[in-house]
Amino acid sequence: MSDLAIGAAFPVARPVARAAEAYNMDVVKKFTIAAMFWAVVALLLGVVLALQLAWPVFNLGLEWTAFGRLRPVHTSAAIFAFGGSALFATSFYIVQRTCHARLFGGEALANFIFWGYQFFIVMAALSYVMGFSQGQEYAEPEWHLDIFLTIIWVSYGVAFIGTIFLRKEPHIYVANWFFLAFIITVAVLHLGNNVALPASFFEAKSYSVYSGVQNAMIQWWYGHNAVGFFLTAAFLGMMYYFIPKQAGRPVYSYRLSVVHFWSLIFMYIWAGPHHLHYTALPDWAQTLGMVFSIILWMPSWGGMINGLMTLSGAWDKLRTDPGLRFSVTAVGFYGMSTFEGPMMSIKVVNGLAHYTDWVVGHVHSGALGWVAFISFGAIYYLVPVLWNRSRLYSAKLVAWHYWVATLGIVLYITSMWVAGIMQGLMWRAYDKFGFLQYSFAESVNAMHPYYVIRMMGGVLFLAGALMMVFNLIMTVRSASTAVQPARETAAAGA
Amino acid sequence: MHEQTSDLVVGLLVLILGLVGLVMASGALDHAMYVFGLSLAGFAVVFDMGLVKRYFDRQDAARQEGGHV
Repeated sequence: MSDLAIGAAFPVARPVARAAEAYNMDVVKKFTIAAMFWAVVALLLGVVLALQLAWPVFNLGLEWTAFGRLRPVHTSAAIFAFGGSALFATSFYIVQRTCHARLFGGEALANFIFWGYQFFIVMAALSYVMGFSQGQEYAEPEWHLDIFLTIIWVSYGVAFIGTIFLRKEPHIYVANWFFLAFIITVAVLHLGNNVALPASFFEAKSYSVYSGVQNAMIQWWYGHNAVGFFLTAAFLGMMYYFIPKQAGRPVYSYRLSVVHFWSLIFMYIWAGPHHLHYTALPDWAQTLGMVFSIILWMPSWGGMINGLMTLSGAWDKLRTDPGLRFSVTAVGFYGMSTFEGPMMSIKVVNGLAHYTDWVVGHVHSGALGWVAFISFGAIYYLVPVLWNRSRLYSAKLVAWHYWVATLGIVLYITSMWVAGIMQGLMWRAYDKFGFLQYSFAESVNAMHPYYVIRMMGGVLFLAGALMMVFNLIMTVRSASTAVQPARETAAAGA
Repeated sequence: MHEQTSDLVVGLLVLILGLVGLVMASGALDHAMYVFGLSLAGFAVVFDMGLVKRYFDRQDAARQEGGHV
Protein backbone atom coordinates (compact mmCIF):
# COMPACT_ATOMS: atom_id res chain seq x y z
CA MET A 1 0.00 0.00 0.00
CA SER A 2 2.96 2.30 0.33
CA ASP A 3 2.64 3.28 -3.26
CA LEU A 4 -0.98 3.90 -3.15
CA ALA A 5 -1.36 6.99 -2.27
CA ILE A 6 -2.44 7.01 0.35
CA GLY A 7 -1.12 10.20 0.45
CA ALA A 8 2.33 10.88 -0.54
CA ALA A 9 2.78 13.38 -3.30
CA PHE A 10 5.03 11.88 -5.92
CA PRO A 11 7.69 13.89 -7.64
CA VAL A 12 6.92 13.18 -11.23
CA ALA A 13 10.15 11.50 -12.20
CA ARG A 14 10.50 9.02 -9.36
CA PRO A 15 7.98 6.32 -10.18
CA VAL A 16 9.14 6.11 -13.74
CA ALA A 17 12.65 4.92 -13.12
CA ARG A 18 11.23 1.97 -11.25
CA ALA A 19 8.32 1.51 -13.64
CA ALA A 20 10.58 1.29 -16.66
CA GLU A 21 12.28 -1.76 -15.19
CA ALA A 22 9.45 -3.66 -13.60
CA TYR A 23 6.19 -2.69 -15.24
CA ASN A 24 4.78 -2.85 -18.75
CA MET A 25 4.26 0.86 -19.36
CA ASP A 26 4.51 0.47 -23.13
CA VAL A 27 0.89 -0.66 -23.39
CA VAL A 28 -0.20 2.16 -21.07
CA LYS A 29 1.51 4.67 -23.35
CA LYS A 30 -0.14 3.20 -26.44
CA PHE A 31 -3.60 3.32 -24.92
CA THR A 32 -2.99 6.89 -23.71
CA ILE A 33 -2.11 8.00 -27.25
CA ALA A 34 -5.13 6.09 -28.62
CA ALA A 35 -7.41 7.74 -26.05
CA MET A 36 -6.41 11.22 -27.17
CA PHE A 37 -6.66 10.29 -30.85
CA TRP A 38 -10.17 8.86 -30.43
CA ALA A 39 -11.21 11.80 -28.23
CA VAL A 40 -10.55 14.16 -31.13
CA VAL A 41 -12.32 11.84 -33.61
CA ALA A 42 -15.36 11.43 -31.35
CA LEU A 43 -15.65 15.16 -30.64
CA LEU A 44 -15.20 16.07 -34.30
CA LEU A 45 -17.96 13.65 -35.27
CA GLY A 46 -20.13 15.12 -32.51
CA VAL A 47 -19.70 18.58 -34.01
CA VAL A 48 -20.55 17.23 -37.48
CA LEU A 49 -23.72 15.60 -36.13
CA ALA A 50 -24.68 18.78 -34.28
CA LEU A 51 -24.22 20.67 -37.54
CA GLN A 52 -26.43 18.14 -39.34
CA LEU A 53 -29.18 18.57 -36.76
CA ALA A 54 -29.04 22.36 -37.04
CA TRP A 55 -28.64 22.40 -40.82
CA PRO A 56 -29.60 19.10 -42.52
CA VAL A 57 -27.67 20.07 -45.64
CA PHE A 58 -24.54 18.83 -43.83
CA ASN A 59 -25.80 15.26 -44.37
CA LEU A 60 -24.26 15.90 -47.81
CA GLY A 61 -26.85 13.74 -49.54
CA LEU A 62 -24.68 10.62 -49.19
CA GLU A 63 -25.77 7.52 -47.30
CA TRP A 64 -22.31 7.13 -45.70
CA THR A 65 -22.45 10.60 -44.15
CA ALA A 66 -26.11 10.53 -43.14
CA PHE A 67 -26.95 11.20 -39.49
CA GLY A 68 -28.27 7.67 -38.94
CA ARG A 69 -24.95 6.09 -39.91
CA LEU A 70 -22.59 8.62 -38.32
CA ARG A 71 -24.41 8.76 -34.99
CA PRO A 72 -23.31 5.28 -33.82
CA VAL A 73 -19.79 6.07 -35.05
CA HIS A 74 -19.83 9.11 -32.73
CA THR A 75 -21.22 7.27 -29.70
CA SER A 76 -18.93 4.28 -30.18
CA ALA A 77 -15.91 6.53 -30.71
CA ALA A 78 -16.72 8.48 -27.54
CA ILE A 79 -17.64 5.59 -25.26
CA PHE A 80 -15.69 2.59 -26.48
CA ALA A 81 -12.78 4.14 -28.37
CA PHE A 82 -11.95 7.21 -26.25
CA GLY A 83 -13.43 6.07 -22.92
CA GLY A 84 -12.35 2.47 -23.42
CA SER A 85 -8.78 3.36 -24.35
CA ALA A 86 -8.53 5.70 -21.36
CA LEU A 87 -9.79 2.89 -19.12
CA PHE A 88 -7.39 0.31 -20.54
CA ALA A 89 -4.50 2.76 -20.03
CA THR A 90 -5.38 3.72 -16.48
CA SER A 91 -6.45 0.25 -15.33
CA PHE A 92 -3.20 -1.30 -16.59
CA TYR A 93 -1.23 1.49 -14.92
CA ILE A 94 -3.09 1.28 -11.64
CA VAL A 95 -3.17 -2.52 -11.34
CA GLN A 96 0.58 -2.79 -11.90
CA ARG A 97 1.49 -0.03 -9.50
CA THR A 98 -0.89 -0.97 -6.71
CA CYS A 99 -0.07 -4.70 -6.97
CA HIS A 100 3.65 -4.09 -7.46
CA ALA A 101 3.58 -6.64 -10.26
CA ARG A 102 4.27 -6.58 -13.98
CA LEU A 103 1.25 -7.03 -16.23
CA PHE A 104 0.34 -10.71 -16.55
CA GLY A 105 0.61 -12.38 -19.93
CA GLY A 106 3.75 -10.75 -21.24
CA GLU A 107 4.25 -8.21 -23.96
CA ALA A 108 2.45 -10.28 -26.60
CA LEU A 109 -0.84 -10.43 -24.71
CA ALA A 110 -0.71 -6.69 -23.93
CA ASN A 111 -0.06 -5.91 -27.59
CA PHE A 112 -2.85 -8.22 -28.70
CA ILE A 113 -5.26 -6.42 -26.37
CA PHE A 114 -4.17 -3.02 -27.67
CA TRP A 115 -4.10 -3.74 -31.40
CA GLY A 116 -7.10 -6.08 -31.25
CA TYR A 117 -9.20 -3.43 -29.53
CA GLN A 118 -8.18 -0.76 -32.05
CA PHE A 119 -8.95 -3.20 -34.88
CA PHE A 120 -12.40 -3.82 -33.41
CA ILE A 121 -13.12 -0.09 -33.20
CA VAL A 122 -12.11 0.55 -36.81
CA MET A 123 -14.07 -2.47 -38.11
CA ALA A 124 -17.17 -1.48 -36.12
CA ALA A 125 -17.02 2.12 -37.40
CA LEU A 126 -16.59 0.91 -40.98
CA SER A 127 -19.55 -1.43 -40.67
CA TYR A 128 -21.81 1.39 -39.36
CA VAL A 129 -20.80 3.67 -42.21
CA MET A 130 -21.52 0.85 -44.68
CA GLY A 131 -24.97 0.49 -43.13
CA PHE A 132 -24.56 -2.69 -41.07
CA SER A 133 -25.98 -2.56 -37.56
CA GLN A 134 -27.94 -4.65 -35.08
CA GLY A 135 -30.03 -1.55 -34.45
CA GLN A 136 -29.56 -1.78 -30.67
CA GLU A 137 -28.21 1.33 -28.99
CA TYR A 138 -24.55 1.02 -27.87
CA ALA A 139 -24.66 -2.60 -29.13
CA GLU A 140 -24.66 -1.88 -32.85
CA PRO A 141 -21.87 -4.24 -33.98
CA GLU A 142 -23.03 -7.37 -35.79
CA TRP A 143 -22.37 -10.88 -34.49
CA HIS A 144 -18.88 -11.42 -35.95
CA LEU A 145 -17.62 -8.21 -34.34
CA ASP A 146 -19.30 -9.18 -31.06
CA ILE A 147 -17.37 -12.46 -31.03
CA PHE A 148 -14.10 -10.70 -31.85
CA LEU A 149 -14.70 -8.18 -29.03
CA THR A 150 -15.41 -11.06 -26.64
CA ILE A 151 -11.98 -12.54 -27.40
CA ILE A 152 -10.32 -9.18 -26.74
CA TRP A 153 -12.31 -8.64 -23.55
CA VAL A 154 -11.49 -12.08 -22.16
CA SER A 155 -7.81 -11.38 -22.90
CA TYR A 156 -8.15 -8.10 -21.00
CA GLY A 157 -9.70 -9.94 -18.05
CA VAL A 158 -6.90 -12.52 -18.10
CA ALA A 159 -4.21 -9.80 -18.08
CA PHE A 160 -5.90 -7.74 -15.34
CA ILE A 161 -6.97 -10.58 -13.04
CA GLY A 162 -3.69 -12.43 -13.63
CA THR A 163 -1.82 -9.34 -12.44
CA ILE A 164 -3.93 -9.24 -9.30
CA PHE A 165 -3.00 -12.87 -8.64
CA LEU A 166 0.68 -11.96 -9.05
CA ARG A 167 0.44 -9.06 -6.59
CA LYS A 168 3.07 -8.55 -3.95
CA GLU A 169 0.68 -6.51 -1.80
CA PRO A 170 -1.79 -8.48 0.31
CA HIS A 171 -4.46 -5.83 -0.14
CA ILE A 172 -6.39 -5.18 -3.36
CA TYR A 173 -6.77 -1.40 -3.62
CA VAL A 174 -10.35 -0.18 -4.08
CA ALA A 175 -9.72 1.17 -7.59
CA ASN A 176 -9.00 -2.39 -8.71
CA TRP A 177 -12.33 -3.56 -7.31
CA PHE A 178 -14.11 -1.02 -9.49
CA PHE A 179 -12.12 -2.17 -12.53
CA LEU A 180 -12.89 -5.82 -11.72
CA ALA A 181 -16.61 -5.09 -11.54
CA PHE A 182 -16.31 -3.23 -14.85
CA ILE A 183 -14.50 -6.07 -16.63
CA ILE A 184 -16.73 -8.88 -15.36
CA THR A 185 -20.07 -7.08 -15.67
CA VAL A 186 -19.40 -5.68 -19.13
CA ALA A 187 -18.57 -9.24 -20.25
CA VAL A 188 -21.86 -10.53 -18.83
CA LEU A 189 -23.84 -7.65 -20.38
CA HIS A 190 -22.18 -8.03 -23.77
CA LEU A 191 -22.79 -11.77 -23.90
CA GLY A 192 -26.33 -11.51 -22.53
CA ASN A 193 -27.52 -8.79 -24.87
CA ASN A 194 -25.90 -10.09 -28.04
CA VAL A 195 -27.31 -13.62 -28.13
CA ALA A 196 -28.25 -13.74 -31.79
CA LEU A 197 -28.58 -16.22 -34.63
CA PRO A 198 -26.51 -15.29 -37.68
CA ALA A 199 -28.36 -15.54 -40.99
CA SER A 200 -25.22 -17.22 -42.36
CA PHE A 201 -21.60 -17.69 -41.34
CA PHE A 202 -20.72 -15.54 -44.35
CA GLU A 203 -23.20 -12.73 -43.75
CA ALA A 204 -23.06 -9.71 -41.41
CA LYS A 205 -26.67 -10.12 -40.42
CA SER A 206 -28.16 -11.75 -37.34
CA TYR A 207 -31.43 -11.97 -35.45
CA SER A 208 -31.67 -11.49 -31.70
CA VAL A 209 -33.09 -14.45 -29.78
CA TYR A 210 -35.16 -11.97 -27.80
CA SER A 211 -38.18 -10.36 -29.37
CA GLY A 212 -40.62 -7.59 -28.54
CA VAL A 213 -40.65 -6.23 -25.03
CA GLN A 214 -38.22 -8.92 -23.83
CA ASN A 215 -35.73 -7.60 -26.34
CA ALA A 216 -36.32 -4.05 -25.11
CA MET A 217 -35.86 -5.15 -21.50
CA ILE A 218 -32.61 -7.01 -22.18
CA GLN A 219 -31.36 -4.16 -24.37
CA TRP A 220 -31.87 -1.57 -21.60
CA TRP A 221 -30.56 -3.90 -18.93
CA TYR A 222 -27.45 -3.87 -21.13
CA GLY A 223 -27.66 -0.18 -22.09
CA HIS A 224 -28.15 1.21 -18.63
CA ASN A 225 -25.46 -0.99 -17.11
CA ALA A 226 -23.09 -0.06 -19.90
CA VAL A 227 -23.51 3.42 -18.41
CA GLY A 228 -23.29 2.03 -14.88
CA PHE A 229 -20.28 -0.21 -15.24
CA PHE A 230 -18.40 1.13 -18.26
CA LEU A 231 -18.98 4.86 -17.79
CA THR A 232 -19.39 4.99 -14.02
CA ALA A 233 -17.75 2.16 -12.06
CA ALA A 234 -14.59 2.03 -14.15
CA PHE A 235 -14.11 5.80 -14.12
CA LEU A 236 -14.65 5.74 -10.35
CA GLY A 237 -11.65 3.40 -10.25
CA MET A 238 -9.77 6.15 -12.06
CA MET A 239 -11.04 8.71 -9.53
CA TYR A 240 -9.99 6.66 -6.51
CA TYR A 241 -6.42 6.43 -7.74
CA PHE A 242 -5.67 9.71 -9.47
CA ILE A 243 -7.36 12.24 -7.18
CA PRO A 244 -5.39 11.08 -4.12
CA LYS A 245 -2.25 11.09 -6.28
CA GLN A 246 -2.85 14.56 -7.65
CA ALA A 247 -3.92 16.00 -4.31
CA GLY A 248 -1.19 14.23 -2.37
CA ARG A 249 -3.79 13.23 0.19
CA PRO A 250 -5.21 9.89 1.29
CA VAL A 251 -8.70 8.86 0.23
CA TYR A 252 -11.04 10.69 2.63
CA SER A 253 -12.68 7.48 3.85
CA TYR A 254 -11.46 4.11 2.65
CA ARG A 255 -14.40 2.47 4.40
CA LEU A 256 -16.82 4.72 2.53
CA SER A 257 -15.13 3.76 -0.75
CA VAL A 258 -15.79 0.09 -0.03
CA VAL A 259 -19.42 0.79 0.93
CA HIS A 260 -19.67 2.93 -2.22
CA PHE A 261 -18.41 0.02 -4.32
CA TRP A 262 -20.71 -2.72 -3.03
CA SER A 263 -23.85 -0.58 -2.85
CA LEU A 264 -23.28 0.87 -6.32
CA ILE A 265 -22.75 -2.45 -8.07
CA PHE A 266 -25.65 -4.09 -6.28
CA MET A 267 -28.15 -1.35 -7.14
CA TYR A 268 -27.10 -0.28 -10.62
CA ILE A 269 -27.95 -3.63 -12.18
CA TRP A 270 -31.68 -3.21 -11.41
CA ALA A 271 -32.21 0.30 -12.79
CA GLY A 272 -32.46 -0.46 -16.54
CA PRO A 273 -36.27 -0.55 -16.81
CA HIS A 274 -36.45 3.22 -16.23
CA HIS A 275 -35.61 3.52 -19.93
CA LEU A 276 -38.92 1.86 -20.72
CA HIS A 277 -41.48 3.90 -18.79
CA TYR A 278 -44.95 3.99 -20.35
CA THR A 279 -44.15 1.10 -22.71
CA ALA A 280 -45.42 -2.49 -22.96
CA LEU A 281 -43.07 -3.46 -20.12
CA PRO A 282 -45.11 -4.52 -17.06
CA ASP A 283 -45.80 -1.62 -14.73
CA TRP A 284 -44.19 -3.33 -11.73
CA ALA A 285 -40.91 -3.69 -13.66
CA GLN A 286 -40.97 0.00 -14.60
CA THR A 287 -41.56 0.96 -10.99
CA LEU A 288 -38.80 -1.37 -9.82
CA GLY A 289 -36.39 0.38 -12.19
CA MET A 290 -37.51 3.77 -10.91
CA VAL A 291 -37.14 2.83 -7.24
CA PHE A 292 -33.65 1.39 -7.68
CA SER A 293 -32.66 4.49 -9.66
CA ILE A 294 -33.72 6.71 -6.79
CA ILE A 295 -31.93 4.53 -4.24
CA LEU A 296 -28.81 5.01 -6.37
CA TRP A 297 -28.65 8.62 -5.19
CA MET A 298 -27.09 7.43 -1.95
CA PRO A 299 -24.07 5.45 -3.18
CA SER A 300 -23.49 7.94 -6.01
CA TRP A 301 -23.38 10.92 -3.69
CA GLY A 302 -21.42 8.95 -1.10
CA GLY A 303 -18.76 8.41 -3.74
CA MET A 304 -18.88 12.03 -4.84
CA ILE A 305 -18.45 13.25 -1.27
CA ASN A 306 -15.56 10.83 -0.79
CA GLY A 307 -13.86 12.14 -3.92
CA LEU A 308 -14.33 15.79 -3.03
CA MET A 309 -13.41 15.40 0.65
CA THR A 310 -10.15 13.76 -0.40
CA LEU A 311 -9.08 17.32 -1.13
CA SER A 312 -9.46 18.32 2.52
CA GLY A 313 -6.36 20.32 3.32
CA ALA A 314 -5.30 20.42 -0.32
CA TRP A 315 -7.88 22.70 -1.89
CA ASP A 316 -5.16 25.25 -2.59
CA LYS A 317 -3.73 22.84 -5.19
CA LEU A 318 -6.67 23.67 -7.43
CA ARG A 319 -5.04 27.05 -8.00
CA THR A 320 -1.70 25.60 -9.06
CA ASP A 321 -2.63 22.26 -10.65
CA PRO A 322 -5.15 22.67 -13.47
CA GLY A 323 -5.02 18.91 -14.11
CA LEU A 324 -6.44 18.37 -10.64
CA ARG A 325 -9.08 20.98 -11.47
CA PHE A 326 -10.32 18.70 -14.25
CA SER A 327 -10.53 15.73 -11.90
CA VAL A 328 -12.38 17.61 -9.17
CA THR A 329 -14.79 19.27 -11.58
CA ALA A 330 -15.45 15.81 -13.00
CA VAL A 331 -16.53 14.63 -9.57
CA GLY A 332 -18.86 17.65 -9.38
CA PHE A 333 -20.39 16.68 -12.73
CA TYR A 334 -20.63 13.08 -11.51
CA GLY A 335 -22.70 14.34 -8.58
CA MET A 336 -24.83 16.51 -10.83
CA SER A 337 -25.58 13.87 -13.45
CA THR A 338 -26.21 11.17 -10.84
CA PHE A 339 -28.74 13.50 -9.26
CA GLU A 340 -30.35 14.35 -12.58
CA GLY A 341 -30.58 10.73 -13.80
CA PRO A 342 -32.64 9.36 -10.90
CA MET A 343 -34.80 12.47 -11.01
CA MET A 344 -35.52 11.84 -14.69
CA SER A 345 -36.37 8.22 -13.89
CA ILE A 346 -39.31 9.30 -11.73
CA LYS A 347 -42.28 8.41 -13.90
CA VAL A 348 -43.97 11.81 -13.74
CA VAL A 349 -40.75 13.61 -14.66
CA ASN A 350 -40.03 10.97 -17.31
CA GLY A 351 -43.41 11.67 -18.89
CA LEU A 352 -42.09 15.13 -19.75
CA ALA A 353 -38.43 14.29 -20.38
CA HIS A 354 -38.52 11.03 -22.31
CA TYR A 355 -37.67 11.16 -26.02
CA THR A 356 -36.66 14.84 -25.69
CA ASP A 357 -33.31 16.58 -25.94
CA TRP A 358 -33.21 16.82 -22.14
CA VAL A 359 -32.01 13.18 -22.23
CA VAL A 360 -29.29 14.16 -24.71
CA GLY A 361 -28.21 17.00 -22.39
CA HIS A 362 -28.16 14.64 -19.40
CA VAL A 363 -26.02 12.09 -21.23
CA HIS A 364 -23.55 14.76 -22.28
CA SER A 365 -23.23 16.28 -18.81
CA GLY A 366 -22.10 12.80 -17.78
CA ALA A 367 -20.03 12.06 -20.89
CA LEU A 368 -18.26 15.42 -21.16
CA GLY A 369 -18.32 16.60 -17.56
CA TRP A 370 -17.61 13.29 -15.82
CA VAL A 371 -16.07 10.79 -18.24
CA ALA A 372 -14.02 13.17 -20.38
CA PHE A 373 -12.93 15.45 -17.53
CA ILE A 374 -11.82 12.63 -15.19
CA SER A 375 -9.93 11.10 -18.15
CA PHE A 376 -8.30 14.43 -19.03
CA GLY A 377 -7.24 14.89 -15.40
CA ALA A 378 -5.72 11.40 -15.31
CA ILE A 379 -3.96 11.83 -18.68
CA TYR A 380 -2.50 15.20 -17.66
CA TYR A 381 -1.06 13.41 -14.64
CA LEU A 382 0.08 10.33 -16.56
CA VAL A 383 1.87 11.77 -19.58
CA PRO A 384 4.80 13.39 -17.72
CA VAL A 385 5.12 10.25 -15.60
CA LEU A 386 5.03 7.81 -18.52
CA TRP A 387 7.41 9.76 -20.74
CA ASN A 388 9.67 10.70 -17.83
CA ARG A 389 9.24 14.47 -18.14
CA SER A 390 9.60 16.93 -15.30
CA ARG A 391 6.26 18.65 -15.88
CA LEU A 392 3.59 19.49 -18.44
CA TYR A 393 4.68 21.81 -21.24
CA SER A 394 2.23 24.57 -20.31
CA ALA A 395 0.09 24.79 -17.19
CA LYS A 396 -1.48 27.93 -18.66
CA LEU A 397 -2.67 25.98 -21.68
CA VAL A 398 -4.22 23.38 -19.36
CA ALA A 399 -6.08 26.21 -17.63
CA TRP A 400 -7.28 27.49 -21.02
CA HIS A 401 -8.41 23.99 -21.92
CA TYR A 402 -10.28 23.76 -18.64
CA TRP A 403 -12.23 27.00 -19.06
CA VAL A 404 -12.94 26.55 -22.78
CA ALA A 405 -14.19 22.99 -22.21
CA THR A 406 -16.27 24.00 -19.18
CA LEU A 407 -17.90 26.78 -21.17
CA GLY A 408 -18.57 24.26 -23.94
CA ILE A 409 -20.32 21.91 -21.53
CA VAL A 410 -22.38 24.73 -20.04
CA LEU A 411 -23.55 25.82 -23.51
CA TYR A 412 -24.32 22.21 -24.42
CA ILE A 413 -26.32 21.18 -21.40
CA THR A 414 -28.22 24.40 -20.81
CA SER A 415 -29.34 24.54 -24.45
CA MET A 416 -30.48 20.93 -24.26
CA TRP A 417 -32.35 21.53 -21.00
CA VAL A 418 -34.28 24.38 -22.57
CA ALA A 419 -34.81 22.49 -25.84
CA GLY A 420 -35.90 19.30 -24.10
CA ILE A 421 -38.34 20.86 -21.69
CA MET A 422 -39.75 22.98 -24.51
CA GLN A 423 -40.20 19.86 -26.67
CA GLY A 424 -41.91 17.99 -23.85
CA LEU A 425 -44.27 20.88 -23.18
CA MET A 426 -45.06 21.42 -26.88
CA TRP A 427 -45.83 17.72 -27.43
CA ARG A 428 -48.30 17.61 -24.55
CA ALA A 429 -49.97 21.00 -25.12
CA TYR A 430 -53.56 20.86 -26.34
CA ASP A 431 -56.18 23.52 -26.99
CA LYS A 432 -59.63 24.02 -25.49
CA PHE A 433 -61.12 21.60 -28.03
CA GLY A 434 -58.71 18.82 -27.00
CA PHE A 435 -56.61 18.98 -30.18
CA LEU A 436 -52.81 18.98 -30.01
CA GLN A 437 -51.69 22.60 -30.12
CA TYR A 438 -48.47 22.01 -32.08
CA SER A 439 -47.54 19.70 -34.91
CA PHE A 440 -44.34 17.67 -34.50
CA ALA A 441 -42.70 19.72 -37.26
CA GLU A 442 -43.37 22.92 -35.28
CA SER A 443 -41.52 21.48 -32.30
CA VAL A 444 -38.60 20.56 -34.57
CA ASN A 445 -38.53 24.08 -35.95
CA ALA A 446 -38.50 25.55 -32.43
CA MET A 447 -35.33 23.59 -31.64
CA HIS A 448 -33.16 25.30 -34.24
CA PRO A 449 -31.55 28.03 -32.07
CA TYR A 450 -30.76 25.54 -29.31
CA TYR A 451 -29.20 23.12 -31.80
CA VAL A 452 -26.94 25.94 -32.98
CA ILE A 453 -25.93 26.75 -29.38
CA ARG A 454 -25.27 23.05 -28.76
CA MET A 455 -23.05 22.91 -31.82
CA MET A 456 -21.08 25.94 -30.53
CA GLY A 457 -20.64 24.17 -27.19
CA GLY A 458 -19.28 21.13 -29.04
CA VAL A 459 -16.85 23.28 -31.02
CA LEU A 460 -15.50 24.76 -27.77
CA PHE A 461 -15.06 21.32 -26.23
CA LEU A 462 -13.27 20.09 -29.36
CA ALA A 463 -11.03 23.18 -29.36
CA GLY A 464 -10.07 22.40 -25.76
CA ALA A 465 -9.18 18.81 -26.67
CA LEU A 466 -6.96 20.05 -29.52
CA MET A 467 -5.17 22.35 -27.06
CA MET A 468 -4.61 19.30 -24.86
CA VAL A 469 -3.19 17.25 -27.72
CA PHE A 470 -0.76 20.08 -28.58
CA ASN A 471 0.23 20.45 -24.92
CA LEU A 472 0.85 16.72 -24.50
CA ILE A 473 2.90 16.44 -27.69
CA MET A 474 5.02 19.38 -26.58
CA THR A 475 5.35 17.85 -23.11
CA VAL A 476 6.89 14.75 -24.65
CA ARG A 477 9.03 16.57 -27.23
CA SER A 478 10.06 19.91 -25.77
CA ALA A 479 13.49 20.27 -24.20
CA SER A 480 11.98 22.53 -21.57
CA THR A 481 10.22 19.60 -19.91
CA ALA A 482 13.23 17.27 -19.79
CA VAL A 483 14.19 15.88 -16.40
CA GLN A 484 17.39 17.56 -15.21
CA PRO A 485 20.11 15.14 -14.10
CA ALA A 486 20.55 15.29 -10.33
CA ARG A 487 24.11 16.66 -10.51
CA GLU A 488 23.09 19.58 -12.72
CA THR A 489 20.14 20.32 -10.50
CA ALA A 490 22.38 20.40 -7.44
CA ALA A 491 24.87 22.65 -9.20
CA ALA A 492 22.13 24.97 -10.29
CA GLY A 493 20.87 25.19 -6.78
CA ALA A 494 24.28 25.88 -5.27
CA MET B 1 4.63 -15.81 -17.62
CA HIS B 2 7.70 -16.04 -19.80
CA GLU B 3 7.69 -13.83 -22.86
CA GLN B 4 8.24 -16.78 -25.18
CA THR B 5 5.25 -18.70 -23.84
CA SER B 6 3.14 -15.58 -24.23
CA ASP B 7 4.41 -15.11 -27.79
CA LEU B 8 3.52 -18.70 -28.64
CA VAL B 9 0.00 -18.73 -27.15
CA VAL B 10 -0.98 -15.32 -28.51
CA GLY B 11 0.70 -15.99 -31.86
CA LEU B 12 -1.26 -19.22 -32.35
CA LEU B 13 -4.53 -17.55 -31.32
CA VAL B 14 -3.97 -14.76 -33.83
CA LEU B 15 -2.99 -17.29 -36.49
CA ILE B 16 -6.30 -19.11 -36.03
CA LEU B 17 -8.18 -15.78 -36.16
CA GLY B 18 -6.41 -14.94 -39.42
CA LEU B 19 -7.39 -18.26 -40.98
CA VAL B 20 -11.00 -17.78 -39.89
CA GLY B 21 -10.85 -14.32 -41.48
CA LEU B 22 -9.70 -15.81 -44.77
CA VAL B 23 -12.53 -18.36 -44.73
CA MET B 24 -15.06 -15.61 -43.97
CA ALA B 25 -13.75 -13.41 -46.78
CA SER B 26 -13.71 -16.32 -49.25
CA GLY B 27 -17.43 -17.00 -48.89
CA ALA B 28 -18.60 -13.50 -47.93
CA LEU B 29 -22.12 -12.64 -49.00
CA ASP B 30 -21.86 -8.91 -48.25
CA HIS B 31 -19.29 -6.10 -48.18
CA ALA B 32 -19.07 -5.93 -44.39
CA MET B 33 -18.06 -9.58 -44.06
CA TYR B 34 -15.63 -9.37 -46.99
CA VAL B 35 -13.87 -6.32 -45.57
CA PHE B 36 -13.82 -7.80 -42.06
CA GLY B 37 -12.49 -11.19 -43.17
CA LEU B 38 -9.67 -9.76 -45.29
CA SER B 39 -8.78 -7.19 -42.64
CA LEU B 40 -8.67 -9.89 -39.95
CA ALA B 41 -6.32 -11.97 -42.08
CA GLY B 42 -4.14 -8.89 -42.68
CA PHE B 43 -4.20 -8.05 -38.97
CA ALA B 44 -3.05 -11.57 -38.14
CA VAL B 45 -0.15 -11.48 -40.60
CA VAL B 46 1.10 -8.09 -39.39
CA PHE B 47 0.67 -9.01 -35.72
CA ASP B 48 2.50 -12.33 -36.02
CA MET B 49 5.28 -10.69 -38.04
CA GLY B 50 5.58 -8.22 -35.17
CA LEU B 51 5.96 -11.10 -32.73
CA VAL B 52 8.74 -12.60 -34.85
CA LYS B 53 10.48 -9.22 -35.06
CA ARG B 54 10.32 -8.69 -31.31
CA TYR B 55 11.71 -12.18 -30.72
CA PHE B 56 14.81 -11.42 -32.79
CA ASP B 57 15.08 -7.92 -31.28
CA ARG B 58 15.25 -9.52 -27.83
CA GLN B 59 17.90 -11.93 -29.02
CA ASP B 60 19.95 -9.10 -30.51
CA ALA B 61 19.67 -7.12 -27.30
CA ALA B 62 20.79 -10.11 -25.26
CA ARG B 63 23.74 -10.71 -27.62
CA GLN B 64 24.82 -7.07 -27.34
CA GLU B 65 24.74 -7.32 -23.57
CA GLY B 66 27.03 -10.33 -23.87
CA GLY B 67 24.52 -12.70 -22.38
CA HIS B 68 23.81 -16.24 -23.47
CA VAL B 69 21.27 -16.39 -26.29
